[in-house]
Amino acid sequence: MNALNDALLAAHAAGDGRALVQLYEQAADQAGTPDTAGFFLTHAYVFALETDHPHATELRQRLIDAGREEPLQAPLPPKR
Amino acid sequence: MNYSPTDLRSVRRPIETANGLPNGHYIDPAIFAEERQAVLFDNWAGLGVAADLPEIGDAVPVNFLGMPLLMVRDKTGDVRVFQNTCRHRGMILVEEPRKIEGAIRCPYHSWCYATDGRLVSTPHVGGPGQNTHDGIDRSLLGLIEIRSYIWMDVVFVNISGTAPAFEQANADLIARWSEFDQPLYHGGANSRFQLDLNCNWKLAVENYCESYHLPWVHPGLNTYSRLEDHYHIEAKEKFSGQGTLVYRQLKDENGHVFPDFAGLSDKWDTAAEYITVYPNVLLGVHRDHTFAIILIPDGPERTIEHIHLYYAQETTSAELRDRNTEQWKIVFAEDVFVVEGMQKGRHAVQFDGGRFSPAMDGPTHLFHDWVAAQMERHRALPQAAE
Repeated sequence: MNALNDALLAAHAAGDGRALVQLYEQAADQAGTPDTAGFFLTHAYVFALETDHPHATELRQRLIDAGREEPLQAPLPPKR
Repeated sequence: MNYSPTDLRSVRRPIETANGLPNGHYIDPAIFAEERQAVLFDNWAGLGVAADLPEIGDAVPVNFLGMPLLMVRDKTGDVRVFQNTCRHRGMILVEEPRKIEGAIRCPYHSWCYATDGRLVSTPHVGGPGQNTHDGIDRSLLGLIEIRSYIWMDVVFVNISGTAPAFEQANADLIARWSEFDQPLYHGGANSRFQLDLNCNWKLAVENYCESYHLPWVHPGLNTYSRLEDHYHIEAKEKFSGQGTLVYRQLKDENGHVFPDFAGLSDKWDTAAEYITVYPNVLLGVHRDHTFAIILIPDGPERTIEHIHLYYAQETTSAELRDRNTEQWKIVFAEDVFVVEGMQKGRHAVQFDGGRFSPAMDGPTHLFHDWVAAQMERHRALPQAAE
């Protein structure tokens, strides 16, 4: 976990959102408890949203299935 | 706020006996605050141009009269304007112009917003790893969207949300220039420039509206564009400006000119018009190019002019565009000493707002009258004082 932790810190320092998605997914997969996994999955999902990462939909669904997230709402029309 | 509202009755008289707006409207921070609401926030004010957001996901923060706003081109291509603040702790979301790849992530606690303003993530809001909570209804916590409308590529905003629809408020002007309701192509980096002016924003409008000053301040026009070749454009309570009957196209050494806008009527062979979209947008139209000037007030005595030039086709001669930019820079620079000189003049305590030429200052008086009407409407509201 130390190597992963170092990689996460480096990705944060570099502002590399796409790397953060992958690294937090790894952290979630290695987590010992559902709550720890949920914490890391949340971070992976946030950076996936920010970077328009292709895993965003799958990550959201994993969080919804775990009772930790809700579906997206419908898009809004512009306010004119 | 403890101050005496200005007496605007003399401004609203017919031009023959009217005075201009009193000094306080140019130098008094309290009246500036009143105008911020009554004139700029309650109407459709210019904020920027859509050309500043050419691609999906482009985001440009703008400080408009102290209010942090964010222009965004959303995933479907629509330009929207939001308050640039997170619904959680009011953190500024976007500090510099940049591309939003997916969602706008607040840099504080990472609440995320779609480019259409939806709140799409509230990480750990219900505790670690729990991203929902009964007390947080995301449908009520999207970004605060400001009413916006794009016309002539200008992004207009109605901050208060109380103005009539843009197409209704500006119906007569839209109809007058309906022939220019066609694609406008921004000329690119060298077709945008800005002027920092030490004057109240209204002085730039007042000077723009009238042709009276042209032979004195722009003597280069005298050889082909005489004062009598100009006409007033006066739509009381709506817009005002001036036009010319002798517009001459810019030519290069080989006689090449810019391509014309498609389908214009004969009038535009030699006509050009310059109109203020009240309150703060100055537009000019010609057969082969248009321009938009957006006045961003920065306190009572400072204004930033953002100038953008547009053409009828996507591809035009870069050299000719550069020449056109230089030509307009010279004209607008010639006006700087006038607006800054008038600003200094507004500190003369016995200046009474000035008298207008009944024959020549009609468009400027209409602007004063409109500003005064906005102030009177605002002051008539309960607890209207800022």
